[in-house]
Amino acid sequence: MKFLKKLILSFVFAGVMALGSTSANAACKVHLGDFDWDSANVHTAIVGFIIKNGYGCEVEVTKGSTSPIMAAHYDGQLDVITEVWRDNIVQMHEEAVAKGQIIELGVNTPSSTQGFYVDKATSDKYGLKSVEDMKKPEIAKLFADPEAPGKGRMTSCISGWTCYTINLVKHKVYGLDEFYTNFDPGSGGALDAAIAGAFKKGKPVFSYYWTPTGLMGKVDLVQLKEPAYDNACWTEMMAVVEKIKADGPDAYTDTCASAYVDMALTKSATTKFANDPANKPIIDFVKQYSLPTAEVNKSLAFYIDESGGDMEATAKNYLKSSDSWTKWVPADVAKKVKAAL
Amino acid sequence: MGKYKKYINLVYLAIFVGMVVIAYTTSKYRPESVLVLFTDPSWLGDWPKWLDFPLMPFLNKWFDILIVKYGIMFEGINFFLLGLYGKMKNFLVGLPWPIVMISVILLAYFASGRQTGTTIMVAFCVFFLGFLSPRYWDKCIMTTTIVVIGMLLCLVIGIPIGIMMARNKKVRNALLPILDLMQTIPSFCYLIPGILLFGLGAVPAIFAIFVYAVPPLIRLTDLGIRLVDKEVIEAAEAFGASKKQKLLGVQLPLALPNIMQGINQCTMMALAMVVIASMIGTRGIGDEVLLGLQQLNVGMATEAGIAIVLLAIIFDRITQSYGERMQERVHHTKEKKK
Repeated sequence: MKFLKKLILSFVFAGVMALGSTSANAACKVHLGDFDWDSANVHTAIVGFIIKNGYGCEVEVTKGSTSPIMAAHYDGQLDVITEVWRDNIVQMHEEAVAKGQIIELGVNTPSSTQGFYVDKATSDKYGLKSVEDMKKPEIAKLFADPEAPGKGRMTSCISGWTCYTINLVKHKVYGLDEFYTNFDPGSGGALDAAIAGAFKKGKPVFSYYWTPTGLMGKVDLVQLKEPAYDNACWTEMMAVVEKIKADGPDAYTDTCASAYVDMALTKSATTKFANDPANKPIIDFVKQYSLPTAEVNKSLAFYIDESGGDMEATAKNYLKSSDSWTKWVPADVAKKVKAAL
Repeated sequence: MGKYKKYINLVYLAIFVGMVVIAYTTSKYRPESVLVLFTDPSWLGDWPKWLDFPLMPFLNKWFDILIVKYGIMFEGINFFLLGLYGKMKNFLVGLPWPIVMISVILLAYFASGRQTGTTIMVAFCVFFLGFLSPRYWDKCIMTTTIVVIGMLLCLVIGIPIGIMMARNKKVRNALLPILDLMQTIPSFCYLIPGILLFGLGAVPAIFAIFVYAVPPLIRLTDLGIRLVDKEVIEAAEAFGASKKQKLLGVQLPLALPNIMQGINQCTMMALAMVVIASMIGTRGIGDEVLLGLQQLNVGMATEAGIAIVLLAIIFDRITQSYGERMQERVHHTKEKKK
């Protein structure tokens, strides 16, 4: 009896599924994961707009901070992520790829930089051009850390992201740790607020930061020179970084260090979603999707200053003002998207 | 006042109309002329874009002025609180751990009126803080320091406000909506501005603790004083007690159990906030939870979560048992009076 019941149920289920896929284009559904920083919002908005209007799918967006969104993505609840800071969550991400939970869909912004920054006014006044220039007690005093007397503060990456540990190692290698604390701001919003607050008050600020970001367009930060990126050196340093992440800061051993490599921000989709033949056109499009930094910065400026945080208006603005996106999609889809503008 | 009362609704109406007019005139989406609104009723479909009160730009401008003009004032508060925090933290972290542990246990012992049960429980919790992970010991001290400073601030400001509310109905009516606002507004609405004003670290956390934890203290102080028996106050008045004598000698002592309950609630909420505050760079045990979550390390997050629970139990047992003792004392005096 039980077997029969199951059989009938599975037939019904299969029937429903078949029905669903025959009317596929109208009933398909894509769940996008989005994050709490602006460049991810922009990518999600553009991709979402094209999927919705070009492919006629229902698009749902869920926004959150890195860990919950990525956890839901690995779990199969969120189908596509359009901006993954892969290098920051490299362990988790590679594990999920190895387990077959997700597949990677290539790069979304070819070159994005990260590094140590100082505000322009202070940099000009004291001639701060490279990390070596920072290693003076009187310079450290400018960036005084009120919670660690005698030291300056470098607002660092969020602890738990790999860049925090990388910064920790770099501080030691460059000899910055004698003068500065590697201060964990706790969250992306807090890091932005710390930099923006310093600029509003006209105070010196020394911080880890990255582009493309909306804040970068508004404040004048100068990147400090570090030893040029070198692959062998980076690999050696990352080995130490992984050891520290596993065993704590005492596991530090002497290493070499170099500037951050231009990071690749990637895209990914769940294996479940990508393997469904109905979703193939969408996966093909997301694979093609790639926006140069200059375009991202333009969209970010529009997103933050002109649209008042309206994601859809930002997507429309980009799609109207540029033609680069027509290469990513078949002609008929492009037509539909244009019609929706 | 009374004769204007019948016009009050008209005043509200005028304010409302004024707001709509401001929204209309400042919006960049408004139609070319007002007449369009009558000829083209399409704006009745979706909420029209011009019907948007410009609160955001106003708040931003106001906040910028606050930072630029009154920055010095916040700097001063920052300097004072940070100095206090730094001194206290460094002192406690510098002490050998057994001394800190023994003093907490002694505090619990005397606060609870020499109850062995409570003392043993507190001792157990204190030991387990470090026992869970040696890293936690210093972090718990940092968290405790922030909570204690936040609480002191709440006491110094909250109790007088509570007393004022209990004695004056107008003050109470004016303050209740503000307390509601403080308790319901999402914490990030004041955490991030806190960073802009005070910088990253301990001070915005203390500020957030104050906003979040002071309402229950104010409410319970107010309630405690109002709940004091009328007869007792009449008796005090009959003996010719001045307002001050009545307050300090009768109302406050009789309201103490309620106030102690308020302090207890205040502590618990402060502890809850200090964990959220780790998201704005506040050092302490909340870090560990956040770090665990960011690395999807459930075990690490839960372990640190347990440490926070233990810390909460320590705070709760000490304040609660002290409150119970107060209550006993009050009842005692009441019985004597009878």
